[in-house]
Amino acid sequence: MAKKTPTPPASARQAKIQAAQKSQGGGANKIVVATVVAVVAIIAVVVGVVWSQSQKEAASGTSTAVPAGASMGKGYPAFASVQAAAGVPTVDLYEDFQCPICGQFEAALGSTFQSLAQEGKLKLNYHVLNFLDDKTGAKNSTPAANGAFCAAADGKFQQFHNAVYASQVAEGTDVTDADLARWAGTAGITGNALTTWKKCVADDTYTKYVTSVNDAAFKIPSFGGTPTVIIDGKTIELNTISSPDALTKVIQNATK
Amino acid sequence: MSTEMDDATPALVGEPSPGRDRALDVVGTLARLFLGVVLIWAGVSKIGHPLTAQRAVQAYELFPDGIANTIGLALPFLEIVLGVLLVLGLFTRPVAIISTLLMVAFIIGISQAWARGLTIDCGCFGGGGAIGAKDTKYPQEIARDASFALAGAWLWWRPRTLASLDRYLFGH
Repeated sequence: MAKKTPTPPASARQAKIQAAQKSQGGGANKIVVATVVAVVAIIAVVVGVVWSQSQKEAASGTSTAVPAGASMGKGYPAFASVQAAAGVPTVDLYEDFQCPICGQFEAALGSTFQSLAQEGKLKLNYHVLNFLDDKTGAKNSTPAANGAFCAAADGKFQQFHNAVYASQVAEGTDVTDADLARWAGTAGITGNALTTWKKCVADDTYTKYVTSVNDAAFKIPSFGGTPTVIIDGKTIELNTISSPDALTKVIQNATK
Repeated sequence: MSTEMDDATPALVGEPSPGRDRALDVVGTLARLFLGVVLIWAGVSKIGHPLTAQRAVQAYELFPDGIANTIGLALPFLEIVLGVLLVLGLFTRPVAIISTLLMVAFIIGISQAWARGLTIDCGCFGGGGAIGAKDTKYPQEIARDASFALAGAWLWWRPRTLASLDRYLFGH
């Protein structure tokens, strides 16, 4: 009301302005731009997926070798030469060599597990995982695990495993060839065996196996990370095995 | 458009208010940049961690593994594409609609995990997967995603913002 309709000449001017605005809008054809943006977006996502997939495959390697007594996705049976007594429980240990809590866990209970296994009072399977590599972006869990299974070929898995936890490489830090060689030295791998071990390490012989074990672990309902202890198929709350004595008791109770 | 408004509603909204329009533009701009940056950040934090991203999706236990794995690989790039378009202000409304629906889907995903008693990290900004029952943060995660959905819904309702490619290319 207050504003009076513009006079005819002004109106004509306005029409021109509007026409100019329209032709400016026509300069960038919305449909063309939308098509280009949609195509670029789809290509970006598809290329991203393909790239991620190849990155994932590169991380796990192609060798289909598995350590003695194990198969793809299955844990490694330690102390395989020990004849376990009848009715003893099977203990599945899920660990990642990069996991600091696994280091503490091993320092507290590792020797107890191992001596019980040595005495035939339990069957011990190691599930060596590498999920922390993907999480932290470091090359740590996978080379360490591969090194351990290369040591297994020389019967030195346990020694190598213990050497890694005795001088763990910090979470998020790459494991170097020097670290691997140090662990191999502590494990007592020498001579021809050392040459074989070095080739095995360089070839990433067991990385695909480790990744398969890792994938299998995360298919267990409620599996949340490492360390995880499963006794005869039942996940154990870690606070119930807080000391060597408590662990020994739990194992005794699980023996039939 | 504005000339029609002048005739129809002066009594209702008081003065035809360029000031109010301007304020709404500013709110929209902030919503656009906020949601855009959040999406880019969410995407970038997942890239380079393909296994973790896949496990994060698997942990919701909504899809068969094959589909979950593809979602895990594709989602970060989708988020970045949406985020970049929002920051540029290009096709703000359609992008806002997709982003809002995506956030609603995340909220549904987290809510169903909570309701079913799963104990997972949402994996919204990397990480994810099963965690201890004490470590879950479902209310916070849902509230956070709701704030993102709100920003998206604003732009869905009123996509006009300042300093956008929409304005520069198409004049609105």
